[in-house]
Amino acid sequence: MQQSKSARALRTLAGWVVVGIFFFPIYFWTSVAFRDAKDIFNWPPIIVDFVPTVKNFEQVFGISLGFSFGQQAAVTPGGGNFYMAPRLWDSIVVASMSTVLAITVATLAAYSLSRMHFRGRHEFVNWVLSTRMMPPVAVAIPMFFIFKQFSLLDTYIGVILIHGLMNLPLAVLLLKSFFDDIPAEIDESALLDGASRWMIFRRIVLPMAKGGIAASAVLCFIFSWTEFLFVLTLTQTGLKTVPVVSSTFVTSIGTAWGNMAALGAAAIVPAFIVILLVQRHLVRGLTMGSLKQ
Amino acid sequence: MNERDRKSYLAAVTDRFVRGGMDRREFLRVAGKLGLGATALGMGFGNRPFMLNKAVAQEQLKPSADVMAWLKDVGKPFAGTTLKLATESTPPSNAINSQLKQYFEEATGIKVEIEVLPLEQVLQKLTLDVASSLGTYDLYYIDQSWSASFSKDVFDPREQIEANAELAMPNYNIDDFLPALVDGISKYEDRWVGVPYDIPIFIMIYRKDIYEKLGLKAPTTFEELLNNSATITKEMGPTTFGYAGQMKSGHYALECEWTSMLWGNGGSIFSADKKFVGNDERGIAALDYYTKLKATMPPGVDGWTWDGQGQAVAQGVAASMLSWGEFFPYFDDASQTKVSGLCEAVIPPQPIALRKPSECGYGEIPGVGHQGGSSLAVSRYSKSPHAAWIFMQWATCADTQALITALGGGTGPTRASVYDDPRVVANARVGAGTTRHLPVVRETIAKYMGSEPDLPQWAQISSDTIPVGLGKYFAGNYGSSKEAMDDIGAQIETIVQG
Repeated sequence: MQQSKSARALRTLAGWVVVGIFFFPIYFWTSVAFRDAKDIFNWPPIIVDFVPTVKNFEQVFGISLGFSFGQQAAVTPGGGNFYMAPRLWDSIVVASMSTVLAITVATLAAYSLSRMHFRGRHEFVNWVLSTRMMPPVAVAIPMFFIFKQFSLLDTYIGVILIHGLMNLPLAVLLLKSFFDDIPAEIDESALLDGASRWMIFRRIVLPMAKGGIAASAVLCFIFSWTEFLFVLTLTQTGLKTVPVVSSTFVTSIGTAWGNMAALGAAAIVPAFIVILLVQRHLVRGLTMGSLKQ
Repeated sequence: MNERDRKSYLAAVTDRFVRGGMDRREFLRVAGKLGLGATALGMGFGNRPFMLNKAVAQEQLKPSADVMAWLKDVGKPFAGTTLKLATESTPPSNAINSQLKQYFEEATGIKVEIEVLPLEQVLQKLTLDVASSLGTYDLYYIDQSWSASFSKDVFDPREQIEANAELAMPNYNIDDFLPALVDGISKYEDRWVGVPYDIPIFIMIYRKDIYEKLGLKAPTTFEELLNNSATITKEMGPTTFGYAGQMKSGHYALECEWTSMLWGNGGSIFSADKKFVGNDERGIAALDYYTKLKATMPPGVDGWTWDGQGQAVAQGVAASMLSWGEFFPYFDDASQTKVSGLCEAVIPPQPIALRKPSECGYGEIPGVGHQGGSSLAVSRYSKSPHAAWIFMQWATCADTQALITALGGGTGPTRASVYDDPRVVANARVGAGTTRHLPVVRETIAKYMGSEPDLPQWAQISSDTIPVGLGKYFAGNYGSSKEAMDDIGAQIETIVQG
């Protein structure tokens, strides 16, 4: 059906309005990162008419960017926390490694649960699901004592382990549903042709489930990237991920919104890159099974 | 002239010059006599008084040679030790963390790791440490409302001085800590729970320009505060309001402001027999007064903690606030606010009546200058208590405290001598990190300070029961102020009885 020019224009406009509505909070938050305090709290609020500054980034990351937008960059005397730069790295290491850990274990577990029929399989799946229902705070304190015993407090390995464990149930359940969507007949044909289970898994099923694995990995990465409670409880100064560092901008004399926005804006970038890298698989993974009979 | 006198004289001269009471030629002449050239004083070509102060500060804001020598000597056996401290992001902790601890580490070889967290998470960490007795932290940052809870988990500094005489800092002078702060922040029953480390206290901050424009005088009584605020709101609203509160439902900030109003109206939280009396005649009058004052405040005030309150003044939305003195240096920062040089600090309004401490329970001290603050203490579970004790003495000695005050943006010192320190006095001018409000802070501590009760359940009562109840009242969930206070009182009685 042919659409009139005005209808097409209206649709395009509606599209831009929707995009604008969703994009505005990101724009506003990012723009706060480039504002002086008096432009952040101005009443009525300033949307675009402010002189940008990189001061917040310089304070948060403890570096001099060597340029300004016509304003003198300055570091707050005695205030601020000047140890943020490596902390973005902490988040990247923890989120990446815990995702690799969770996805590796979950892929094997999910395939087994999808294809192998053993006693108590359904109960096992329900148990896996139930671990997601437990509030993390109930686990955090016992974990503190266990980690202390094994000298895992304040270490990368400790946080990677806990984030990997935290994401494991979700990854298992998600991947199981993706493997369930791949017809078992394919496995059976390959078995008849003499392929081993491992060969079938590695050469046939895994490539077919690539999209689902990517989608699960992205979710695991994001959950680890934003996780707060375990990192707070199980670390001191050895490492700090972005959410914990962000909370330190809440000070005894108010919240350093500019600094918080600067860290937040910078923290979007690695997560954005990860999603961009797996975008093609992600769309496929999220739509897997939608057309199955 | 000895070094101290020379610095005092330089500070006085600098102050006169910055205030315009002395011309540049005369200033240079005096400075030259003191052995300081124009370069050392940061004198550029142009009238830049802050540059000058900054240069003076750079010249002077270094630890004393005596203190460094002592650190080097006493710290030697502990070189290689790592100390851990979890603290809220306060001006003292930030100044130590970012600028001062390097001196300590270089002199002693002791490494200091400072973990900066929001207050409630500091409490969570300390609670875990105490519950496990693991000694994860060597030093405890103890908010005044937790003193009772942690009193047995830390060393009393007086005991440490006696027990470890060889580690005692010469001239540490424990009597220099303001006695009111020792009582209000660091003492529980007969024990010292560390030493006072940080003192935010309520002072009255108002916009002098707005007050003058409307022919008003700084409020000296609660009645004047209400009338002035109502006048400003009437004349300048809805762009500018007379007063900004910290009235966020369920937040400790609301409890703090309410307590000031309660004490200022002659009430108290507990009676001498430890019963809740916030619902007596004076308590009801206080809540009714608070309700009237709220009518002069900007809309949305019931979503603000002290942060929103401070921003309202900083952005010119409100003309006054009774709040933490630590905000004042921020207001004077022209790069951060629109009110630099326009605000003045005065002592809090005089109370309508004031109950005596002997008429109150749990060590409560009524006074409009509501005091917050924290102590620094050595953990009993620390694996390196001696090294921690050395750090604690250094962090809270007069020299370090003066540096913290000058570097940390005019936070309220906890030692009497620091208020008179030339480095602190030299900073008393309009500009970022000013200390020009400190005489008011000192007077408020000495004469008008109010201190919350000390009981183990106070953290729950002050951060949950009272502010949640008050939030419900201001949201209209109670029929009257009496009904609200009775309900809060009943809940408190249940909590106290366990």
